[in-house]
Amino acid sequence: MNQLLKIKQKVKAETSGMICEVDQFLGDGGQGEVYRAVMNGKPIALKWYYTASATRDQRLALGTIIKKGPPSDEFLWPMELVSDLGVHNFGYIMPLRPQSYKGIHDLMRRRVEPTFKVLATAGLNLVDGYHRLHSFGWCYCDISFGNVFLDPNTGEVLICDNDNVTVDGNLKGAVSGTPRFMAPEIVLGKALPSTQTDLFSLAVLLFYFFVMHHPFNGKREAAIHSFDPAAMRKLYGEKPVFIFDPDDDSNRPVPGYQDNANAFWPIYPNFFRRLFIRVFTEGVRDPSHGRVRESEWRIAMVSLRDSIIYCPICGMENFYDSEALKSTGSGCPLCWSCKKKFNLPPRIRLGGRIVMLNHDTELYPHHLHDPNSFDFSRPVAAVTKHPADPRFLGLRNLSGQKWVANSSGGKIKDIEPGQSITLAMGTKIHFGKVEGEIRV
Amino acid sequence: MKEEVKVTKRPGGELSSRPLYCILILDVSESMANDGKIQSLNYAIHEAIPAMKEEAAKNCEAQMLILVITFSTGAQWHISQPVRVEDFKWEDVSAGGVTDMGKALKMVADQLKTPPMPERAIPPVLVLISDGQPTDDFGSGLKALMEQRWGKKSVRVAIAMGHDANLDVLQKFIGHPEIKPLQANNPGALAGYIKWATTAVITSTINPPSQPNGPDPKIDPIVPPLPPDDPAPNDDVW
Repeated sequence: MNQLLKIKQKVKAETSGMICEVDQFLGDGGQGEVYRAVMNGKPIALKWYYTASATRDQRLALGTIIKKGPPSDEFLWPMELVSDLGVHNFGYIMPLRPQSYKGIHDLMRRRVEPTFKVLATAGLNLVDGYHRLHSFGWCYCDISFGNVFLDPNTGEVLICDNDNVTVDGNLKGAVSGTPRFMAPEIVLGKALPSTQTDLFSLAVLLFYFFVMHHPFNGKREAAIHSFDPAAMRKLYGEKPVFIFDPDDDSNRPVPGYQDNANAFWPIYPNFFRRLFIRVFTEGVRDPSHGRVRESEWRIAMVSLRDSIIYCPICGMENFYDSEALKSTGSGCPLCWSCKKKFNLPPRIRLGGRIVMLNHDTELYPHHLHDPNSFDFSRPVAAVTKHPADPRFLGLRNLSGQKWVANSSGGKIKDIEPGQSITLAMGTKIHFGKVEGEIRV
Repeated sequence: MKEEVKVTKRPGGELSSRPLYCILILDVSESMANDGKIQSLNYAIHEAIPAMKEEAAKNCEAQMLILVITFSTGAQWHISQPVRVEDFKWEDVSAGGVTDMGKALKMVADQLKTPPMPERAIPPVLVLISDGQPTDDFGSGLKALMEQRWGKKSVRVAIAMGHDANLDVLQKFIGHPEIKPLQANNPGALAGYIKWATTAVITSTINPPSQPNGPDPKIDPIVPPLPPDDPAPNDDVW
């Protein structure tokens, strides 16, 4: 096959002067080809532009992007420009994407099956990444399936194709991207990409993650015969109606054709669904103020994770929804899978939030003392089984500090690091900065 | 590699997708037997298959289905039932006969009626490859194609093999002022254009680049991005 670069061809990194040897063709996209290469004995990814994309503007933009560096670990970022005398065009090198990361198309085709816990973690990591990008003043402009990868076991994400990020407000050139992810005002040509339009695209991507469906693909999409640009413009630009708009049922998902929407949506707690409702209704009418901000998504993803409960009958993950339980007058959730009611597990009220205490629950710094530090690698507490009777659960102190527990009977106990306290109704635990109360 | 056992812990199924029919319309007339052209055509299609599958795997909003028709004296379906791209295999075609392109287009028109086409789909992509002049009534074949709703909505590209192909006819088939027939003068170019037609064109039909000023009836449906740099000219020239 004809490719821009040949195997064993050498190009030079422009800043370090190191030689980069082409090793394997990996794939191609709209702007260029990507190769595996070796530089200084280490494997690296090399993107080489087609002539039409190898413009002076692109080169300058890349220079800025490379100089600024990645906003966070979630970004696979250009490292150096590469070129060589006698070789047309130019490219750049970046780290290779590890094999453990899968594309969102794999998620959509059900080739990978993360748990809801992993998805909530991935959602948080994704939002975190874009939050950092935006706080640096960048705008991504082209959030879509092809740019995001996730590890289906851990929920870590990688955001790729960062050669087109631009300074917010600076975009003068042609609009890139596809109508499926674009904010309606961009589809209609009324606005250029910005961090505000990124927020819309991010919400669409999150909707795909959690509902496995597009937010505007309901009855109106089903009525379209030929899904071409004119149809997309009408559906996504001129009159986008959220499929679960509480005030407009004209675009509900069609059973038998758009089943994922109806299968996934009812599972999630109200607080989570409300965010999607807002961004896809108010966020369409009022692009500047109606969209959900990253800070809100972050809190929601953490709360979603905290609300996971396991059906004791079939083992499936469900979600605790206090509003839903209050409105039905029932203390028992209904499993979406086996349709049986089950009792809630123990849970802990920590400040304003409730965290479910499942057999595998861990508490993290943001639960106990640092509300802004979402780090799932450093648990400070974990649910354990009582060594004498595994029917009883306890909470083990994994932090470096002593806790003080007050049982409902009035007993006070110190829980040193490494020790556990039995989860009994009404027990209060002082964690230092925060007090928690156990409910069983 | 160890196969992972996937346990489904969430409801539902795959993302709902629409079918995208890709129809290859291939000239297998006598002249294609000259200069190794038919061999190059067969080879190029074999070579394009891995890239087609890889590209299709990324387009989760669509299910690509392939049909193939050949024309020489008359026309016949080489693959008459839509094959999923994941299952697509190429059986070589051989050359002989005249160039009944019009007949092929009439048969494609029949295929684009509903049924057998479904009510909902992504615009079909038609790829016409020819090295010569039609020997039958090309005009009425094209008319029949354009009388079908799916024919009118289709994205059409054409590849001319060698310098004897009738570019006017190919341009009429394309019917779009911004898309020109691609001139393949050697096996490398042919392979590159077939790969482009069955990957980049497919992707841009499923996910068209934005048209911020609204669809222009003169240029809609979709202008696929041009194929990349000319392939290295190290092959025999036709």
